[in-house]
Amino acid sequence: LIETDAARAEWDNPMQFVLACVSYAVGLGNVWRFPYLCQMHGGGGFLIPYMLMLVLLGVPLFYMELAIGQKMRLGSIGAWRAISPYLGGVGMASVVTSMYLCLYYNVINAWSFWYLFHSFQSILPWAECPANSNLTGPVEECERATPTQYFFYRETLDISGSIEENGGIHMGQALCLLLAWIIVYLFIVKGVKSTGKVVYFTATFPYLVLIIYLIRGVTLHGAINGVKYMFTPKMEQLAKPTTWINAATQIFFSLGLGFGSLIAFASYNQYNNNFEKQAIVVSMVNSGTSIFASIVTFSIYGFKATFNYESCLERVRLLLLNTFDLAEDTISLENVNHWIAELNRTHPEQFASLGGRLETCDLEAELDTAVEGTGLAFIVYSEAIKNMPVSQLWSVLYFIMLLLLGMGSMLGNVIAVITPLSDLKFISVLSYPVGLVCLFCLLLGLGFTTRSGNYWFTMFNDYGATFSLLFIVLIEVITVCYIYGIKRFEKDVEDMLGHRLNWYWKIMLAGVSPILLIALFIFYIVNYIQGGTPTYQAWNKELGKSVVTEYPPYAQAFIGLLLASSVCCIPLTALYTYCKKRNLASGKRERTVSTVSL
Amino acid sequence: MHCCSHIILLFGQAICTVGDNCYRAVTFLKEGMLVWILFLLCQVGAPALAQDLCQRDAPNGYKVRISLKTALGEDAYEWNQSEMFFFQATMAFAMRRHFQMETYNVDNIILCVQTSRVSFWFVVTSPDNTTMLIPKADVEKAVRMSRHRINNAFLLSDRTLEFLGIYPTLAATVNPDTPPWLIVFGVVIGAVCAGIIALLVSSLLQKRRKEKGMTEDGQDEEDMQVKGVENGINLDGTYNRGFTDDDRFTKL
Repeated sequence: LIETDAARAEWDNPMQFVLACVSYAVGLGNVWRFPYLCQMHGGGGFLIPYMLMLVLLGVPLFYMELAIGQKMRLGSIGAWRAISPYLGGVGMASVVTSMYLCLYYNVINAWSFWYLFHSFQSILPWAECPANSNLTGPVEECERATPTQYFFYRETLDISGSIEENGGIHMGQALCLLLAWIIVYLFIVKGVKSTGKVVYFTATFPYLVLIIYLIRGVTLHGAINGVKYMFTPKMEQLAKPTTWINAATQIFFSLGLGFGSLIAFASYNQYNNNFEKQAIVVSMVNSGTSIFASIVTFSIYGFKATFNYESCLERVRLLLLNTFDLAEDTISLENVNHWIAELNRTHPEQFASLGGRLETCDLEAELDTAVEGTGLAFIVYSEAIKNMPVSQLWSVLYFIMLLLLGMGSMLGNVIAVITPLSDLKFISVLSYPVGLVCLFCLLLGLGFTTRSGNYWFTMFNDYGATFSLLFIVLIEVITVCYIYGIKRFEKDVEDMLGHRLNWYWKIMLAGVSPILLIALFIFYIVNYIQGGTPTYQAWNKELGKSVVTEYPPYAQAFIGLLLASSVCCIPLTALYTYCKKRNLASGKRERTVSTVSL
Repeated sequence: MHCCSHIILLFGQAICTVGDNCYRAVTFLKEGMLVWILFLLCQVGAPALAQDLCQRDAPNGYKVRISLKTALGEDAYEWNQSEMFFFQATMAFAMRRHFQMETYNVDNIILCVQTSRVSFWFVVTSPDNTTMLIPKADVEKAVRMSRHRINNAFLLSDRTLEFLGIYPTLAATVNPDTPPWLIVFGVVIGAVCAGIIALLVSSLLQKRRKEKGMTEDGQDEEDMQVKGVENGINLDGTYNRGFTDDDRFTKL
């Protein structure tokens, strides 16, 4: 039973729709995943598979989702049910996956708030180690790790040693999560009317911050090392299949396909909105932002690596001066290595007594420490920021940017859940679906603020929305092109836009994209099977670093549940519809929305 | 030099008291030579004695390391004998401050093994007995007590004026009653809640205004059309958007 689109809300103007899509697609992944991939797979050379995958996979699928949403004018559940009654489960699977994403994604925003609020201090709390209780030295855990790691793992998360050790809720985190959910509620409570106004800000302000950071970044000492390192293409990486697979995966997840958000956004469009141009524009903007963000990230990397390298040289210099009692200005940073050789030659026994204390300083090794994900955003970046002059300002700007990126994506995720639910008649009987969804997600999300919460977060991040999405989009493409029929789809698009589908769209949608998706799908399964027991990085207090630990059996079962719960919707709904149709008397038929006549 | 004059005086007294009937004219010359020999020995012996007390890795000594260029850069002063004397004076002050009874003097601080790094060793002797060294623990207590004054005397800091073995006490972390982040959090959440309340109130007012408007002149035309009520007759159909006259192709 689906409500007809009698008085459906609409975007005030097409620009709001485009900005909403940009705000949703341009998220944290552009900042913390793409630069990592770029570095891992040969710098400038990675752009080749990336752009190729964008053209072959990203833009056509994006186009398809927008077309469906705009045509059906319903959220994902209603839209897929209208396309094919047996495949209404695709919409359900999208909603379930979006729900998982809603649960854990806002925790990142909570962390961003936490860091933002802690930036208003004269000395940034992650700049120095706190003193221990006797005031004789820094806290041991902080000494073994770095101050930024200590602040993230101990003071922000209060992380336990493994996923089995639970603990209480971290009150500060819980408060920040509450704030994050209140803000999300505020942004979507009035539907697209309020969301449409908010996206003007969430889509554009991050670019302003990125530009400011670009200017600051490239003027930092040593930034050029990082940018050079990133852009030096290592073409031999292109020969490895993982490069191409990672490029495809990145395009896929970066555009946010399969969650139902794009369908939901497009459902609020005017019927004749020119989504073709908009699809191309948003995809290009998303990829362009990734490249832009990676320039910024790498200039920051270069600064941090150079800073660490020079600190290392300084320590070695001091060690040599102190051991051999030479005057202060004999050794400078430039001739440290020369002096090492010299002293080894002239005072071999004394030199040998230095033993392990003499560090080797290597700029390449510093640059090689590629990190992705929350580690990059909250540890590496904050380490670089604390060494900049006026670090509080840069810290505030950076975390506001992270917040806006995260909030923009959150809006899409929550709307992907609410739109189909509010289309279903029985839900709209409840007066406040938005408030209830937010409250529900907040209460469950508090689980991620416990001491082992970060491990559950990683589990959701790695397994909650990766494999299921591939499956969902694969079914989507096959449904649209082969079950619904590419001819019918063409006619619908012509009805909306006024011109027929280009040969490019037809070939991509019907041929290339499904093949690529199937290849990705097979790769994921093979990788998962070959990978053995799934593992995670557990923070070890004594060593002051992360160690690879295996998931306990109940956690592995939970992973299986995560994967199965969204994927199963599709076959289960198909079965249910089939049974229902069989049991119905021949006379009374379910009223389906005829798509051709509209 | 203090000790030398003591010794000579004592010996001289000893010589004279031994023989009241001393042949002054003959022994006077011998005395002079003796005194002169003693004097020479003292000059050589005293530092040798002090050298035995102060040496590299002395059990009761501390090594001091000074990094002038690191601390002061361009304004670094030259480390010379006057600065060494100043150091002795400062240490004597520190010892006096700690042991309030005893009067330490510059001579009680013995320095040795000076290098160009600038680093040197020092030991502290007792004011009553110059051969006796003050134990390490007491020196440490004295240094800890006056560390701040010693640093400031040389325009240096804990890091640039190092007493190897005496670790500086770190500044206690200031823990304010309300952590600053909570204050910012309170401000933000207050603003957000105010925003929500404003939104809800405005929507309530809008609804009330609409209701008032509706009861005054009946239902809206559009509502009627949408609900399929035309000319007062309920039509059982759906609104066909194909007949709206909005623009056929909306631009980007």
